[in-house]
Amino acid sequence: MPAASPSATATSGALPLVPRCDLFCTVVDNFGDIGVCWRLARQLVREHGWSVRLWVDDLASFRHLRPDLDPALARQRCDGVDVRRWDADFGPISEANAPGDVVIEGFACHLPKAYLHAMHARKKAGNAPVWINLEYLSAENWVDDFHLQKSLHPQFGLVKTIFMPGFTERTGGLIRERELFSRREAFLASAGLRNAWWQRAVGLPAAPQGALVVSLFAYENAALPALLTQWAQSTTPIVCLVPQGRIAPAVGEWFGRHALTAGESAARGALTVHGLPFVAQNDFDALLWACDLNFVRGEDSFVRAQWAAKPFVWHIYPQAENAHHVKLDAFLERYLAHSSPADTPLGGDAREALRTFWHLWNGYAGTPPNWTALALALPELNRHAQRWASTQASLPDLARQLASFVENQVK
Amino acid sequence: MKIAQELRVGNVFMLENEPHVVLRTEFVKSGRNSSMVKLKYKKLLKEGRGEFTYRADEKFDTVTLDKKEVTYSYYADPMYVFMDAEYNQYEVEAENMDNAIKYLEPDMPCEVVFYNDKAISVELPTTLIRVVEYTEPAVKGDTSSGKVLKNAKINDLLEVQVPLFVNTGDKIEIDTRTDEYKSRA
Repeated sequence: MPAASPSATATSGALPLVPRCDLFCTVVDNFGDIGVCWRLARQLVREHGWSVRLWVDDLASFRHLRPDLDPALARQRCDGVDVRRWDADFGPISEANAPGDVVIEGFACHLPKAYLHAMHARKKAGNAPVWINLEYLSAENWVDDFHLQKSLHPQFGLVKTIFMPGFTERTGGLIRERELFSRREAFLASAGLRNAWWQRAVGLPAAPQGALVVSLFAYENAALPALLTQWAQSTTPIVCLVPQGRIAPAVGEWFGRHALTAGESAARGALTVHGLPFVAQNDFDALLWACDLNFVRGEDSFVRAQWAAKPFVWHIYPQAENAHHVKLDAFLERYLAHSSPADTPLGGDAREALRTFWHLWNGYAGTPPNWTALALALPELNRHAQRWASTQASLPDLARQLASFVENQVK
Repeated sequence: MKIAQELRVGNVFMLENEPHVVLRTEFVKSGRNSSMVKLKYKKLLKEGRGEFTYRADEKFDTVTLDKKEVTYSYYADPMYVFMDAEYNQYEVEAENMDNAIKYLEPDMPCEVVFYNDKAISVELPTTLIRVVEYTEPAVKGDTSSGKVLKNAKINDLLEVQVPLFVNTGDKIEIDTRTDEYKSRA
């Protein structure tokens, strides 16, 4: 096993001016894992000046988020990030793949054995990398106690630190780019920007007047037909934007079609739906800003919906034995309890409407979700969403916390 | 070999070729997050305690320790000396005695633990009966004020919290793992 050559700039007890970071991501399914890792990688480069190699085992999935990516390339540069194809055979350690100063396991993926040995070699040379296990986001209380907990590798003695994203100051925070809110405010303030978006994304000259605009991004969902029926019977016109994804075929079927493809529209009663192409990550925020209510799923779009400061409905990644319910309820409890002394507390009706709707959208019971109750609560939920986003934005973001942590480790 | 999730209190696992004893475990699993195990440990051969948090599937080499029934004989600074049924003597260094020192009495049965044929520590029965050397009498009104436990001195090294009805001279059962009162004997 050839020993890794330590970073030319790194020395024991000091972080180089441009820390070299290896971020490993296994795409388990869907786009949440790579979505988060890609955002984090870009932010560490742009805002913290790191040199980041992003190792991804499934570039084809990644390409949905970043369409100009070439899945055939073993190495390419995107937005300043060195994107590497993580093949099953990682190959022998050389200058080209030797461990960086910071090593991040995205969502507890397993590092290649050769790479781990090379990290050990760096440690023996007095220059151990800062090793981080970046976990999934959760609002559960235990997260506070597990954030920044350490372990020692049983054989190599390398220290690994758990980094838990979360909603409190005792966690790693949420991903939030520095310019996110100024981009959002610019979009909301400019009719020209909004109209251009509607033209580009939906093919309409502007947002429909007098309609409630909803985005629908979800996993397959048994509650969908009942919801579409309620929307069709609504007294307010509803325009629903459906990006291509796992729920789009079922929307098409409800209209008696084989599918609802990008560019297609359909209408029944008060409901009009527009099929959108799969929305690349860079464009997703604008979709959320353009809508009055957002249905999101997984982790990445879930966080973006919170930053959009609009009411939203979360379809959490479903798991066996309803293991995901605990996580969903923990977030609901935190989100609905939220109020600062200056706030008007969220009314009981609005709270119950949202909680019940989320539960039924997530299959807690076979009853259809009550659209009328949620629609009535939307003005109040809108104000609440703005307060929530504002409070969360007062906490440091994930990339900043990560960078600060790493700096403190090597001081 | 065991995974972190399988480790139990009292198991000995290896960290960087050094044996560590599990003192406590806490397991969490939710949603898509990794299952994780918080391990409180003490080092088997040296001073040192701590806590690490592992993914539940992290693999550890574990060690099965040999044990022998003995009785406590005497203390010869800095060693505690124990004797088995065949009158073989085993010495354990004072710094490895840990909590056991507080309970030792002449001819008391216990187990000596061996690692690589060396006596390294002593294990006590999980429950022992001891006489309360001194405790304050209960004062009327203590229960209503919410004060339901009081200190009881067992010997110079050991104090436990006992219910108000326990008096000086009473025999009580103590959990030697936690130094907690279990019942009146």
